[in-house]
Amino acid sequence: MVDRIFAGVLLIVTLAYAVIAFTAISAPFQYDPLGPESWPQILSLFAIACLLAILLNPDATEMGVTTRTWFRLAATIVILVAYAELYEPLGFILSTILFGAALSAMLGAGMARAVVFGVTAGVAGYLLCVTLLDLNLPEGALVQRLVEAASQEGQS
Amino acid sequence: MEALFSGLATGFAVALDPFNLFLVLAGCFAGTLIGALPGLGPINGVAILLPIAYGLGFGPESALILLAGIYYGAEYGGRISSILLNVPGDAGAVMTTLDGNPMARAGQAGRALSLSAIASFVGGTFAVILMSLFAPMLAAFAVTFSPADYVALMVFAFASLASLVGKSTVKTLLGATIGLMLATIGIDANTGVARYTFGIPDILAGIDFLIVVVGLFGMAELLSLVEQQVAGKLKALPVDKSFVRMADLAKCKWTIARSSVIGFFIGILPGTGASVASAVAYGAEKRISDRDKTFGSGDVRGLAAPEAANNAAAGGAMVPMLTLGIPGSGTTAILLGALLMFNIQPGPLLFTQRPEVAWGLIASMYIGNVALLVINLPLVGLFARMLTIPQHYLTPLIAILAFIGIYTIVGNPFDLLMITALGIFGWFLRKLDFSLAPVILGFVLGGLFEDNLRRALSISGGDWAILVTDYKSIMLYVLALLVVVAPIWLSRRARRMEGVSAADKS
Repeated sequence: MVDRIFAGVLLIVTLAYAVIAFTAISAPFQYDPLGPESWPQILSLFAIACLLAILLNPDATEMGVTTRTWFRLAATIVILVAYAELYEPLGFILSTILFGAALSAMLGAGMARAVVFGVTAGVAGYLLCVTLLDLNLPEGALVQRLVEAASQEGQS
Repeated sequence: MEALFSGLATGFAVALDPFNLFLVLAGCFAGTLIGALPGLGPINGVAILLPIAYGLGFGPESALILLAGIYYGAEYGGRISSILLNVPGDAGAVMTTLDGNPMARAGQAGRALSLSAIASFVGGTFAVILMSLFAPMLAAFAVTFSPADYVALMVFAFASLASLVGKSTVKTLLGATIGLMLATIGIDANTGVARYTFGIPDILAGIDFLIVVVGLFGMAELLSLVEQQVAGKLKALPVDKSFVRMADLAKCKWTIARSSVIGFFIGILPGTGASVASAVAYGAEKRISDRDKTFGSGDVRGLAAPEAANNAAAGGAMVPMLTLGIPGSGTTAILLGALLMFNIQPGPLLFTQRPEVAWGLIASMYIGNVALLVINLPLVGLFARMLTIPQHYLTPLIAILAFIGIYTIVGNPFDLLMITALGIFGWFLRKLDFSLAPVILGFVLGGLFEDNLRRALSISGGDWAILVTDYKSIMLYVLALLVVVAPIWLSRRARRMEGVSAADKS
């Protein structure tokens, strides 16, 4: 069943891909006999054949995931998306502290340990990557403002 | 022969440069650590660390040496969690659990670990030696390949992929096709026509390779870890003081030799890496030497065979990657993508045009193998402690590393959402028994496949017969057919033989 649903969704995407390949893509002038459209056409036909084979003869019947696990997975994805959204606004250190603490707490670490882990990962990760390896990580608008305020105070 | 020695001299000059030497050691060490972590195998390790290695701004040969060190370091480290935890890090280490874990449970963990380290070393070194002999020869032959031959080679690659990798042939082929389709996104280099970009400027140059790799492997792995989350610690068996004996080595020497050969040649086959090699080597060894039915209950030969084979396969998989530009396994597909990011097109000309990259990598593998043996024998206790890292710290750590790596490429936070979405897609694929290696292989080879097909048809003016005129391409199509038909035929024959022997008994 799951196999069929997944293959069905992929089939819709592939059909859209095929329609574009057969109608929309064309070069104003071309030197090679195939042009930009033939290769996607071949691929789409092949993919449709594979998908039909799976639809007719599926083998995975169940996901084997319990409701609790679904919730845990959904929560993980929510936390990941939040981490991605807050990455630049909060900066690496703050967002990593929040993310590390939240995810490890959700996965079963004690609250205190989770916070310690988050703070360690955020601060140590920033120091290691920015000062030692010279990588580019977001400071975050908040941290930037604090640093600016501190430097202005130093000047006055 | 002279070319071989001068090549090796060039290579060792590169690899013995103090900085590169440091990178070999660092890569091997980091790789062993990653391999030892339960659930994380070579392919995930390389995928997560690739963007960071790229962001460090090293030269191509240094970055490749580091990544290759991580790759075979992780093949080495995978045995530690297999033996002590009975949890293989990836498919290549599954066979190691069969005899390795019973040995550790019988109080011989130290013996099992040291024996497997030696078997890995022999397998790995044997593969590098064969690689330095074979690779230049294969490259010299491959220079004569026409575009039509390349098309045949691709067909062969995908045929062996379909027949040997994954549980279902159709799903493997579909996975590879999804990869090929993903590779068509972006501007067509021949005509300048934009395909499937929908006006989004971020993907005009195609979907970034790093995003696909980190998403499909790193993030999907993270979701699997969350799914299989176990509360508390896994119980790791202690490393004791027992050590490998000369008698063990004497008993295993032919096992290791045979398995190294099997591993190397299976590794060369496109797309089939350590997992197939170790399974075939274990099966062959069981048939040859399991007279007392001791395999599966802690036989030293049952431990040595898959370990020698999977490390030999790691080396073998490098051969087609460097000489033909066709990766021999999922992990080498990632290394190939890494080379492409440095604007180096692996292929027959690599050995003449960029000898410092090709030979530097080979020389670094000689050094890396020795280094791995040296750090693995005394430090195995340290690596074994990695096993006790609770998963609730490991999982966030993977995400943090993946985010750092992806963000540092261009500093675009949209990419972070992309890898999360691809991670979800990859997790679904894995749950439904698709293997992910074909997807990445298709993605990496997509451009090459299409270019050669179009070039071949340009030469013939649109006549498809050009694909089957050369003896080389015909040979490759025959091989492709063989690789698909042979396993089916062999399994039928095996079933018939079983039927006959069962009939004899009754």
